[in-house]
Amino acid sequence: MTVFLLILFGFLAGIIGGMGMGGGTVLVPLLSFLDLPQKTIQAINLISFLPMCCVALGFHAKNKLIQTKHVWWLIIPAIAMAVVGALFADKAENKVLRLSFAVFLIAVGVWQMVVAIKFIVNSRKERKKLQESKEEPHDE
Amino acid sequence: MNLTAKNKWILLIFSALAGFINGFLGGGGGVIIVALLLSVLKLHQKHAQATALLIIFPLTIVSAIVYLCKGNVDWQPTLWATLGVVVGGIVGALLLSKIKGNVAKIIFAAVLIAGGVKMFF
Repeated sequence: MTVFLLILFGFLAGIIGGMGMGGGTVLVPLLSFLDLPQKTIQAINLISFLPMCCVALGFHAKNKLIQTKHVWWLIIPAIAMAVVGALFADKAENKVLRLSFAVFLIAVGVWQMVVAIKFIVNSRKERKKLQESKEEPHDE
Repeated sequence: MNLTAKNKWILLIFSALAGFINGFLGGGGGVIIVALLLSVLKLHQKHAQATALLIIFPLTIVSAIVYLCKGNVDWQPTLWATLGVVVGGIVGALLLSKIKGNVAKIIFAAVLIAGGVKMFF
């Protein structure tokens, strides 16, 4: 049963990841339904991301979607602090990690929802403007 | 485009934060990286998502190595879940073009909030 759930949860998160929306943020809460320590769950998330990422990178490189200019400004500090973060995680209690993840998820969820709603509102406004400017010549 | 000193600091500080979160929580740094690429480097959504993967990939490897060395990896559940993720990833990539971006984003955000609330209990 656990094996089935592991595959199913991975599958669900994989669909979202494949659509480019951060499947990892879904896999962790799904796996928290199973009786696994939070650190094990986080390690699953890290490792299961790697094969997907390889395939996706190959695909994006072929489509010339990757822009390497200035990326070192992000890669180097991110790698350095990833090591620090992972060392902190090893020292932290599973309970603390789980609560931190919960807070992070809610924050990102609220933030992303605001961004998406703003985008929809703005694109509606622009569409309206465009329509009005098209209609104007007929209003004489 | 050349980076201003201010933008360099923004990139340094927030990518360091993304790296820390990705290591500490085992994921989630990508959201911050995508936001940085969109707002500071002014990349388009598609380019930002693809480029974010390039940045997240090495820091995920590094974090995974630390988890491995500290004995926090349990291979059996990891391999089963990874199998699911790979198959799901292929399905997701095929579905991508058929779903409206912003509707999907709002549903996704709701799922995140629900997941976060659930993890409190």
